[in-house]
Amino acid sequence: MAAKKTEIKEAEATTEAGEALRLPAETKYAEELRWLASVDTSPRPFRWRLSPRMARIFVLGSSPSDKLDRTISQKFYGDPALVERALVTLASDRGLLLIGDPGTGKSWLAELLAAAICSNSTHVVQGTAGTTEDQLKYSWNVAMVISAGQSKESLIPSPIMTAMTRGEIGRIEELTRCTSDVQDALISILSEKYVNIPELKSDGVVFARPGFNIIATANSRDRGVNDLSTALKRRFNFVTIPTVTNKKTEKEIVLFRTQELLARNAFQVDLPPALLDILLQTFSDLRDAQGAATSDDARLESSLSTAEQIGVLEDAVLHSQFFGNAALQSEQLASSLIGTLVRRVPEDVAVMNKVWHSVIQKRGEQSKDKGPWEDFVKGGKKTLETFK
Amino acid sequence: MTKKASMSDRFGPFREQLQAAVEAFAGGTAPREARVAGEQDREASRRSAIAATFQAMADDVARAAAEPLELFPVCHHSPSSGLHLRKRLGERPFKVIFLEAAEGLEASLNTGGEFGENLRECQFPIALQAFSVGSSAFPSAWTPLNVVYPLTEFSAEYQAIAYAMAHPETKLVFVDRAVDYIYQWMPKEDDALKERLADEPIDDGDPTTPDATEAPTVSHGTALGLQVGDLLPTFDEFHEFLLKNARVKHFSEWWDQYVESATLTADYATYRQVMFLIGSMLRRFGRRDEDIAQDRQRERYMWTKMKGFLAEHGIDPEDAIHVCGAAHTASDVEEFGVASPVLWEVPPRTETTWLYGVIPSSHLAIEHQFRHPPGSLRLAEKLWKKALTAHNLKPFTIEKRPKSDEKKRVARAAGGAAKSAADTAEPAIFDYLATSPAPLGTDDDELVRWCIEITTLARNNGYLTSTADAIAIFQTSKLLAGVRNRAFPTPYDFTDAAITCLEKDRTPKKRDIRRLCQIMLGGDRIGQVGYASLPPLAQDVYDRLKPLEGRGFTLENKRTQRALLDFKAAPELHACSQVLWMLHYLNRSTCVPIMGERTLGSTPVQESWEVYFTRTQAPIIQLGYEGISLEHVIEKRLKAAAFASSATTVAALSAVEDAILYLRSPRLVAELGEHAIVLLEASTSAAEAPQVFERIRRLVHYYRAQPTGLPAWIKRFVTTGYSHYATLLPASIQDEMTAATDVAAMLSFLFTLESLALAFGAQRSQLLIAVKQAGGAEDLAPTKVALLWSAEWLLGLRKIEDIRAFLDAVLDNPMMLPAFPDYVAGFLLALGFTPLVARVVVELLSKAFARLPDDVLLPWLPSLIMALRPLAGDLVPTLLKEVSVVFPASLAALDGWSPPWDAAPVPVAPPVETKSADANVSEETQRIRAFLAANGAVSEAVAALLGCPAVASPRESPGPETDARPPEASNGALAELLQRYPATLEAVASGSA
Repeated sequence: MAAKKTEIKEAEATTEAGEALRLPAETKYAEELRWLASVDTSPRPFRWRLSPRMARIFVLGSSPSDKLDRTISQKFYGDPALVERALVTLASDRGLLLIGDPGTGKSWLAELLAAAICSNSTHVVQGTAGTTEDQLKYSWNVAMVISAGQSKESLIPSPIMTAMTRGEIGRIEELTRCTSDVQDALISILSEKYVNIPELKSDGVVFARPGFNIIATANSRDRGVNDLSTALKRRFNFVTIPTVTNKKTEKEIVLFRTQELLARNAFQVDLPPALLDILLQTFSDLRDAQGAATSDDARLESSLSTAEQIGVLEDAVLHSQFFGNAALQSEQLASSLIGTLVRRVPEDVAVMNKVWHSVIQKRGEQSKDKGPWEDFVKGGKKTLETFK
Repeated sequence: MTKKASMSDRFGPFREQLQAAVEAFAGGTAPREARVAGEQDREASRRSAIAATFQAMADDVARAAAEPLELFPVCHHSPSSGLHLRKRLGERPFKVIFLEAAEGLEASLNTGGEFGENLRECQFPIALQAFSVGSSAFPSAWTPLNVVYPLTEFSAEYQAIAYAMAHPETKLVFVDRAVDYIYQWMPKEDDALKERLADEPIDDGDPTTPDATEAPTVSHGTALGLQVGDLLPTFDEFHEFLLKNARVKHFSEWWDQYVESATLTADYATYRQVMFLIGSMLRRFGRRDEDIAQDRQRERYMWTKMKGFLAEHGIDPEDAIHVCGAAHTASDVEEFGVASPVLWEVPPRTETTWLYGVIPSSHLAIEHQFRHPPGSLRLAEKLWKKALTAHNLKPFTIEKRPKSDEKKRVARAAGGAAKSAADTAEPAIFDYLATSPAPLGTDDDELVRWCIEITTLARNNGYLTSTADAIAIFQTSKLLAGVRNRAFPTPYDFTDAAITCLEKDRTPKKRDIRRLCQIMLGGDRIGQVGYASLPPLAQDVYDRLKPLEGRGFTLENKRTQRALLDFKAAPELHACSQVLWMLHYLNRSTCVPIMGERTLGSTPVQESWEVYFTRTQAPIIQLGYEGISLEHVIEKRLKAAAFASSATTVAALSAVEDAILYLRSPRLVAELGEHAIVLLEASTSAAEAPQVFERIRRLVHYYRAQPTGLPAWIKRFVTTGYSHYATLLPASIQDEMTAATDVAAMLSFLFTLESLALAFGAQRSQLLIAVKQAGGAEDLAPTKVALLWSAEWLLGLRKIEDIRAFLDAVLDNPMMLPAFPDYVAGFLLALGFTPLVARVVVELLSKAFARLPDDVLLPWLPSLIMALRPLAGDLVPTLLKEVSVVFPASLAALDGWSPPWDAAPVPVAPPVETKSADANVSEETQRIRAFLAANGAVSEAVAALLGCPAVASPRESPGPETDARPPEASNGALAELLQRYPATLEAVASGSA
């Protein structure tokens, strides 16, 4: 299944840029990558397309001290040290495991890193409870096996095996959703760097070419479901991606992603800065309330990550575009916020109701910019009333 | 040409280089292809603005270098500054060293008028402290005013002090604004000070601060921190930009990378020029306007003071050196430079009294105070030692006081009057800008050692690590340094590498890898103030705790220690225990009792103490500012608490209790007690009655057990209280705002301490009148009615039958039924002052459970339990005892059992009117009574014949608590006797007739 997914992704990558719904990072930023490679003079480990220094610039954007002739946009917002640590891990012989709450940008960082290092971020296996060892290593084309027996031709390599043979980066999403036996299949891949295929009489070992490494992501909320074995932990360097709580960075991320979304849909919606501030403030208040809550019932199910904020804004923008007057309204934002964050009825409604009346309303009363806040509070109340 | 002109010529190449930098900078800010024609004007103006700024920076450097009074620019706790000052002072003697430190703080260095003596016994780091318990000039929320100026051995200020101590011919003068001005120049708002205190740990998104579970460490508390050469940019955008471009996390890291390691190996002239340039840059870009305004004020102050000092002592400016923050050398105030005749008119100080002293400090405390990243000071210290070895230098040190009388001075640095390097050297700043800094001592060996050590340390802390990890850390450190444009991994890179390789999804034990790295790279260093430098109070504490030494306890030990005091084996330890209790009382962070208590009347047998003050001396030293001994401080504090304008009786009684516990001074106790009486008389409500009653009862019990008996003040307190509460009683009962619990407490005071009060001159009639007054009120709350009736019953003003009848009527009346629980609650409260109502309470509770409907009973149950809970210790046993008397003991007996209250005749129905006792008896009986009363001896004699003890007339002796019982109870035995032998009474009566 995962292998199929990769094929589809690869197909996507080769489609015309205008036709794909979402392009992988290496295609989207192909021009930047080419340019960076052309000016890169620093030593590159293995067969990397960019040196770690340039890869860092690709992910974090350029600054004047880099003395480049053009600006490279920032694509990942977070602690630069974290990206540096991730890069040097990939240059060493350990795998990289990105850990964080949902919506903190783990997969996005993994994609960017793979794109920067090997210009291919599509060797992905999605970890699920149903992922099998075959999907990490290889499987067989049954029809061909029946007709011609087991041979290299009838072998279907997994995305990881493809990455090995090409010396590129393989990605595993949600590693901790896989069962322990599947996870442990990675141990030999990470330490011996080859896969043995006993079914093939001769030439039954696939060796990884230099440059191969694995980026895995794991959700910290899933901790304890399928814990990694100690042996596997040893073979991964863990890089924890924290939830962004710095308002300035958060604003940058939300703007960056929303503009991307607008560009993808090719339409224009006014995004008043006051509304963005309201959104950020509300999330910050909700996070405070979440932190102060003593039981799970008093907490929202949502992780209140930056990705959720983008989700809210996306919802509101789409509503405004198709059912509004192409300008984002406070009421709509409130409605989208509540609609996105309320997942359990009545628990989440109760939590939201409390925060809305005790914190958000006060926030509106104290704010200098009363108009949008009042509409926001009103819109929220109206939406809350619709939950039965 | 003037000297200035020739200077600017010398800096010509430097200017050219800066100009080139302007070109490059202006060109690099925007992508070239993005530049369009319309933007060119804007860019030209931007370029000229940048050029002007750079030009001004070059001017700053030239001006500072040309200043006749030698400016020595420093950065806080910078080894490079320390090293260059050490070299400079060794090369050339100065007559005076001006130090950027608060004027007046030098007082903390001296003992007996001898400069620096206070530092001789200290282990660094320490902090000079200015302290004031309070002042009318500043908001009270700021008190106590506390300023610290930490000193580390590797700093320029330490070198200056050590040099001045070794060279008495060189004067050391603190020229920065005095601490008084720091507060004076702050906005006089309560929050203004709070904003400037380092109360929040550094928030860099990492849990880098040491965990709180570790033993209490040295801290400056809520002190305001001062440091020489504070260069940390306060303008956030600039700060952020600087760090981002340099790929570092903290300013200290940036400083290490770009300034410290470069200037450490440079010559003196280069050092000065680089520091002037950096200072100018940080001053121009890194400071907020409000900070610059404050800097200017300070610079005016410093220059005025310096010029004044030079003129006063007739010293040539060339014989003086000014050690100040690099940013101050780029000052734009008129007073700058000895050539400027302008002087500032220094405003007067406030009348605040400042006390000066030395307290121990620690690297962690300094880092926390000034928001340096943890571990940075330890790294600086390492660098300092490395640099000393590399330069083959001996630092100036403050030597310990020699044991013999003859004082040995510190090793004087050799060196004649070398010519000022600043005057002769060519501008070397050119090289600094042209070549990248070469860090001092980059050896792989050290990095390998770190990798191995951290792996071991991590293993000991529960991480599963092996040699493979050490190799990975080494490799990762190198790679990280490469990504960050560094020639060699810094300790910060190493820490990041170790975290990458070792930190997994959870921390196995208490410490994570970041903390372990900090520990490995140095941990904390804690200073200690020597005995001789301690204030008298602290010395006294050390002296008095001497007996503990040799019992596994060392006074000089800096660790947290456990002291075991066995008073049976060593009675002399009682004195030590007293000291420890006083310390504990004054400041809980000095020592904590693990076993043992100090309460009224307790006699300790053994005590066990956790003692921290040898580690954290600061609290004790601060106590030294308040008084000369612990007793003195406690007395001052108790008096302040009891005599404060807002003090209450409870506060005064609490002070009394503390005075008994910790001071054992009857004089002070009496003084505080007398004041408590004054406060009691002045109080107009019953709000504090429960606490007052509880405290005074405890004190009475305590004093009764003492051989000296009750002191006069307590007798006065009881009689005053009796009269006071009797006066307040009617109003309190009627006042809806006064809680029933307060009324109960008043009644408790009145009845429980009655015997004592009456014995010392109080009159019972006052209480009788007060209760009768209170009884006249209408519409009282049921709880208060119950309390009042209990009191009336005790005083013989009401019969129990009447109460019972009334409550039965309540139970029968559906309209009044819901109020029944309130009546019961009142009687429960009355249990507090008379156990006699226990039977009534049992009766009422039984009736309640038997007759109350569920809709009244069930909602009441929780509040009943809550009402009973506080009585659990003392009164519930009484209730249970009463229950066991009333109810049958066996199940079999239950069939034939009927409650005793049902058997009793029900006389009259409410409302009850109190009749005089005399109205119910016949005239004959009255005559008999009058006769018996007049001839008491006869009835006593009859009683004696019948074998009964003599019964004193209540009127003659309004006796102790038992006398307050109702007549039926106290005379029960006599009545029974007379009933059994009626003939006797008749005979006596007929005889009398």
